[in-house]
Amino acid sequence: MSVQANKPLFIWRHLNKLRWLVMSLVFFMLILLPMLHVYQTYVSAHAYDLLSPSEQNFYDFMETITAPFVSDPENELDAIKGTTWSGTFFGLKLSDPLAAAGQVAASLKFYWPFVLTALIPVAFTLVFGRFFCGWLCPATFLYELNTTLGVWLRKAGLRTGNRRLDPRLKYIVLVLGLLLSAVSGSIVLAAVYPPAVVGREIYYAIALGGFGVGAVFFVVTLLFDLLVARRGFCRYLCPGGALYSLLGRFRPIRIKRIVENCNDCAKCNAVCEFGLDPLRDNFGMECNNCSACIAVCPTDAMTFVVRMQDFPYQGPGHLGRHYRRQQGKKQTIDDSDEKA
Amino acid sequence: MKRRSFLQQFVYVVAVLAAGSLPFGLSRLLAPAAKADPRTHLRPPGALKDDAAFVEACIGCGLCGEVCPPRCIQFYQREGGNKVNTPYINPEKKGCILCNKCMEVCPTESLTLVPREKIDMGIAQIDRTACYPWVDHGICGACAVICPLGERGIGFDFANIYRPVVKKGCVGCGLCVEVCPHPSLPIWIVERSQGTVAKHRIG
Repeated sequence: MSVQANKPLFIWRHLNKLRWLVMSLVFFMLILLPMLHVYQTYVSAHAYDLLSPSEQNFYDFMETITAPFVSDPENELDAIKGTTWSGTFFGLKLSDPLAAAGQVAASLKFYWPFVLTALIPVAFTLVFGRFFCGWLCPATFLYELNTTLGVWLRKAGLRTGNRRLDPRLKYIVLVLGLLLSAVSGSIVLAAVYPPAVVGREIYYAIALGGFGVGAVFFVVTLLFDLLVARRGFCRYLCPGGALYSLLGRFRPIRIKRIVENCNDCAKCNAVCEFGLDPLRDNFGMECNNCSACIAVCPTDAMTFVVRMQDFPYQGPGHLGRHYRRQQGKKQTIDDSDEKA
Repeated sequence: MKRRSFLQQFVYVVAVLAAGSLPFGLSRLLAPAAKADPRTHLRPPGALKDDAAFVEACIGCGLCGEVCPPRCIQFYQREGGNKVNTPYINPEKKGCILCNKCMEVCPTESLTLVPREKIDMGIAQIDRTACYPWVDHGICGACAVICPLGERGIGFDFANIYRPVVKKGCVGCGLCVEVCPHPSLPIWIVERSQGTVAKHRIG
């Protein structure tokens, strides 16, 4: 499909809204599922009268919102369970590829029934790259809000960190995590992987009465993003991001700059959460196909293409000043050639 | 000069490794290993018997807790160390009702579905110097009434009808610990090998 597409499909511009919808939905589900679980425990206890008034209110509320969908909440609400780390979705068990990798490293053997649950996410990652990071990850939802907070802080005159580290650092984190898992015999990656931490901590907070240690870890990563590097944890430290970057190295679905429409305004560079350089066709393994640059582009110069590799730098945008100056020079050179 | 550049490279590699291990160090700092009381930290039913193998297999997804009807499954936190985010049951708060849901939902092999009789969370142990009926002929029998295994798990001593006796069928679900009215909890769960069932009575 490498036909010369000069206009992006009109729907690509609106994908960013869909992405926010999906991310909000995932986050909302992570809050709703523990609440449903607590409701289920109340139902299965058959002891409405023994609940405290606030618990009764909670019971009534949950009954109201679930009654249209289920007749037997005790069992039917089991249809969706878990977090993005591992869960069941209408009988289909899905797991994070990092969970499978971590377990294989920790126990040094393949337990196929579990490793296969990561198969569908791996297949999607092979096609869409780091799409999980941009579209599903519940931590990304909070990190992007954190970025917005950083913008407000900057407007208020406070300085936020914007250091650039080497993005290859996260591969070291991944390898170290796998090695530490193998040595210590426990899946240490689970404790440092923000989406797993977020899903788990929300569950602890709602169903078990309080945040666990992961909440502190997550707050530290938020501070790291604010004070050291924008979206720094995802870009430089996240072991899951490292794994998806590697898996998505040859992803066929990519974002491409249409050089004919580009006017070098660099809004794409400003909006890119991962600090990539779409303006110079530099997406690389980090791009998570979040489509924010497509949504922000004022001249429809960003689009999705099916291609195994990024384009090399296509030169300055044809609507921009630099290109016109270049063309002008070329014109004069051509003219002088003709004269000569 | 050569030594200098070597040292520089060495320092660079160490710095990169230190930066890479930063998150792991932080997570470990937040969950230092402490000795968890085995009486209040039972593994859920169907857990691999070798606890090291269990920790290797468990990914800490929390699904077992999320399907547990009595919400008895909790997760190691600060006391956990390597075990952080792995499940445990504290029978002093809530015992397991042996509903099999956690074993069915577990995506890894850490909780494997086994028939009810084969579940081995431990075995109940009764302190006969504290239990009401054993000490002063009190009338209780709460543990025997709640036991989901009935006569196979816990029964009464013959002729002293309220004196509870643990039998070999006990799987260590901990419901008896949960309901025991005595403040010092004269019944608790120990590892099967440490139980005194055989010493007192053939179950």
